[in-house]
Amino acid sequence: MKLKKLTAFILSALLITGLTACGSSDKASGANSEEAPSQTTEASADKTTLRMAWWGSQARHDATVKVIEMYEAQNPTIDIEYEFYDFDGYFTKLNTLVASNTVWDIFQLGGNFPTYMDKIVPVGEYVDSGIVDVSNTNDSFLSTTTWEDKLLGLSNGVNCYGIAYDPQLFSEAGVPEPTENWTWEDYKNACLQIHEKLGIYGSSKLDDFIGGASMGISQEDYALNFFASSNDKLGFDDPMMLKDYFAMRQELVKAGAYPDPGAIFEIKDIEGDYLVTGDAAMTWVASNQMPTIAAAAGREIKLATVPRKKADGPSGSTIQSSQMLCISKDSKVPEEAAKFINFFINDPEANKVLNGERGVPIMSNIRETLEAEADEAKKEMYSFVSLIGTFKTGEINVISPARKTEIEDQYKLLIEQVIYDEKTPEQAAQEIYDFAKKKFE
Amino acid sequence: MMNDNIKKKMCLNKILHNDNTVGYVFAAPFIIGFLGFTIIPILVSLYYSFTNYNLTTSETWIGLQNYARLFQDTRFLKSVRVTLIYVLTSVPLKLIFALFIAYLLTKKSRGVTFYRSLYYVPSLIGGSIAVALVWKELFSTRGLINSLFISAGLEKVSWFGDQKMAMIPLVLMSVWQFGSSMIIFAAGLKEISPTYYEAAKIDGANKRQIFSHITLPCLSPIILYNLVMQTISAFMSFTQAFVITRGGPNDATNFYALYVYNQAFKYYDMGYASAMSWVMLIIMSLITFLIFKSSKRWVFSEAGE
Repeated sequence: MKLKKLTAFILSALLITGLTACGSSDKASGANSEEAPSQTTEASADKTTLRMAWWGSQARHDATVKVIEMYEAQNPTIDIEYEFYDFDGYFTKLNTLVASNTVWDIFQLGGNFPTYMDKIVPVGEYVDSGIVDVSNTNDSFLSTTTWEDKLLGLSNGVNCYGIAYDPQLFSEAGVPEPTENWTWEDYKNACLQIHEKLGIYGSSKLDDFIGGASMGISQEDYALNFFASSNDKLGFDDPMMLKDYFAMRQELVKAGAYPDPGAIFEIKDIEGDYLVTGDAAMTWVASNQMPTIAAAAGREIKLATVPRKKADGPSGSTIQSSQMLCISKDSKVPEEAAKFINFFINDPEANKVLNGERGVPIMSNIRETLEAEADEAKKEMYSFVSLIGTFKTGEINVISPARKTEIEDQYKLLIEQVIYDEKTPEQAAQEIYDFAKKKFE
Repeated sequence: MMNDNIKKKMCLNKILHNDNTVGYVFAAPFIIGFLGFTIIPILVSLYYSFTNYNLTTSETWIGLQNYARLFQDTRFLKSVRVTLIYVLTSVPLKLIFALFIAYLLTKKSRGVTFYRSLYYVPSLIGGSIAVALVWKELFSTRGLINSLFISAGLEKVSWFGDQKMAMIPLVLMSVWQFGSSMIIFAAGLKEISPTYYEAAKIDGANKRQIFSHITLPCLSPIILYNLVMQTISAFMSFTQAFVITRGGPNDATNFYALYVYNQAFKYYDMGYASAMSWVMLIIMSLITFLIFKSSKRWVFSEAGE
């Protein structure tokens, strides 16, 4: 035990130096030092302190900080210390806190929450005791954050994946706009034709692992998933189901209709995507990114569904929780944490500030208020999420087991090897299947 | 009673006024840092390298499994190869360049000190993220380098999209940071006694002969020092690959240190990453040992045997 505490200390100390060197925590530490004076000015001994952290973009940081200040103003006895990071920095920090049993009282988790199951106090307990109100939502929304019959957290918003596209470029290239059930074949032909006619990339980068592997397998059959719902094994047994995506990516890059790995690497963020700069006609988005990308592009952008394998087959798409706020087991004041989460999800004023940036709100009253004030891009987002909600789906597993990052990196590496002709699509499909399978042995 | 107290006081005074105590007090910040940030983490990582520690759950002892795994890991083997290529290209290039500039700057002319400082600037800001980001911009598809290529009538190069090209910007960045080696070379060059040169000139030696028969041998201990230091730091290169290429494309720049970092902080495979670090230590010690061993053949010592 002693050794463990010591290591945790050393690791976190090393990490602090490491992170400052890497600069990824610059924003967070900067914000902390800025905030420190305002928090100490109203110093009082009987204040309850809640620690909270999240990851995200600058817009999210600004909105969340505002909501925290609203809550502190309404509850003078509560003092919320917050930290925010980019995605990678967040999880690096979280892991050191897990090791030292000092996880923030309120923390944000996405689809990889099973890794942190030991650290979560299910919010369901506070729903039963009446602290958290879920009367304005229904089971289908609550199920997005339910695991092993326990309501772990409340979703900050739901979203689904789609393809954002520029209808103007499509018509210039003479390509019909995507339909609800367009296929990967249609996608490939659209890319090739746009590239041929306009000289730009047909498509900017896709999320290869979701598009090709996790969604790709679910598109084969309603009963299949890349990771089985139990998350302790693979949910399919035919590696060749993965082959077509490898082949398609290879063909598109070779034709110049899709950016090569170097060009993909140059995309820094969603605002710098090739669709925004006009160098591509399509790109992969999560629906909650739609307003950001439309604002950055400054021209009409529409949302299409992710292409299917067969026009009459499963879409593979499903509504999922983009992330949730959780209460940590290390918290000494879990009840206060639950109260804040209730405010964060249910308060209309707070949600006007948050404005659906984390996804479509799960509370119907909040959704209606926001929808009434939405601009074009937001309306597109809301109608897109409802459209996906009408699709027939099997039990789609959107939860990531702990080993997913490794498997995903290997998958992306294999795509590059196929592009550089080091492996055939068949070999790559077989290899990633074997690799992933071995990780669960 | 009294006596006892006085004795105690005397004892304390003795300790306080002891020269060694003062020394330890002044050295304490370093000793604490050295223990806390160097020795203990090193020893703990040795222990973890025999376990399956993954940060979130407690570890179990798995013996040599991590070490056995290394030899079946194709990504690991590739990262060793890539790192060796980087070391073997960047270190000699950097040293040659540093020596060349240092040699030019030994000429007595106005502004030498100014130029020497100027050439040192890249090393001052060298390892930073900011420089790496600038480097990434320079070599991007629409960056300065490609603009120059186009205006010179050459084809555009996708530096980070081509497996064979991706290493070049990284090596160039390392060579660009030749400043610290240069300063050491310059100091070494000054130390060479002018009488040797005069004697050589009287005997009618030309510039090349003077350089290869006087300058190089006299400078060889300095070359050895720079070679060892630069080789070690090249093996530990991380920032360039982490910021500029993220190891891609297709692991073509997946440096050893970067792969260790990814295993540790991306895949949370701390045990495996620790084992990898220890193998790196062994490889580096071995190479340093070989350099020292070979130095007997080429390092010239004025003092003689």
